[in-house]
Amino acid sequence: MGGYSLERLNVLVVDDSPHMRHLVKVLLFSFGCRTVVEAEDVPEADKLLQDFPADLIICDWNMPSEDGISFVRRLRTGEESRNPYVPVILMTGHTQKERILTARDAGVNEFLAKPISAKSLFQRIRAIIERPWAFVRAETYCGPDRRRKQVDLDHPNRRQKVPAKGTPGIRGAAVRDDHFRSASGAISASGGRS
Amino acid sequence: MAKEPVIIEVPNRLKAKVSYGPDGVDAQRLEQAEAMISALAPEYLSWVIDDLKRLQSALDVALATAEDARPAAVRAIFEISHDMKGQGGSFNYGMITQVGALLCNFIEARASFDAQEMEVIRLHVEAMRLVIGQKMEGDGGRPGQSLLKGLQAVIAKVSR
Repeated sequence: MGGYSLERLNVLVVDDSPHMRHLVKVLLFSFGCRTVVEAEDVPEADKLLQDFPADLIICDWNMPSEDGISFVRRLRTGEESRNPYVPVILMTGHTQKERILTARDAGVNEFLAKPISAKSLFQRIRAIIERPWAFVRAETYCGPDRRRKQVDLDHPNRRQKVPAKGTPGIRGAAVRDDHFRSASGAISASGGRS
Repeated sequence: MAKEPVIIEVPNRLKAKVSYGPDGVDAQRLEQAEAMISALAPEYLSWVIDDLKRLQSALDVALATAEDARPAAVRAIFEISHDMKGQGGSFNYGMITQVGALLCNFIEARASFDAQEMEVIRLHVEAMRLVIGQKMEGDGGRPGQSLLKGLQAVIAKVSR
């Protein structure tokens, strides 16, 4: 049997609860991660990110000085952001659909409902490894592409491909069919897109 | 005219840094990780006792606060119980998660809190204390389920 070895990953855990940080760290170390740094709030995370080349950020939603949603928005769009494409897993006890959509619209890659388990956390990490999402930079949104299915459409409203013009890595778009995974399975969220 | 969104193919740095092999995370490794969390249960019990103390203090403050100013005080109860709800299940105290969810939903659905509603909140705090005091792990068995049904009945009565 085999699996992904995570030992080379640099992970930043941001949570105001020392218990949750401890729990997540224990899980990450048990997955083989060796470099896990923690921040008790967003200002500390900002400071750490000046020098720490995070490959993955696992962040809480509710925190006193600045919440996780605002942090992710700044990460994706802030002029001072050094790593706007870093994958983010947002942990929260709020699992209502509108909350999940808010997280998705802020630019979160994966949503992890509390209470967390080894399986649920690893599932989110594996999803980011196996199903990376292109990034969308639009007037009202910057973050992982919220549309999840690539389907060829023969329709005048289909989004046009952006001319490459020597910009490798820019591609056309897909249909508006979104799935934002939650701990309890797939929560489908069709609706307004970028 | 609005600018066309640009779709950027970002290099998958995560994938580039992980390898797949026999030493990676497989089902057995995940079971070991779950076992490591279970081993943290004694630590959890000491954390949660502190949480219960903070919860009781927040309840005392809310009870001593005039009804018109009470929502802000009840918010403190919500914050603590919301954290507890998010942690209990990870350490095989699913009852804390369930009682916490009932309490959070009850608070979130209200803009004001009279004496009767504060009594409902007090009962939830007592229930959480009982779960930890009796070490009701998992779903709490029959006593745990009775406790949940009782709380649900109280909420239904007040919500009528």
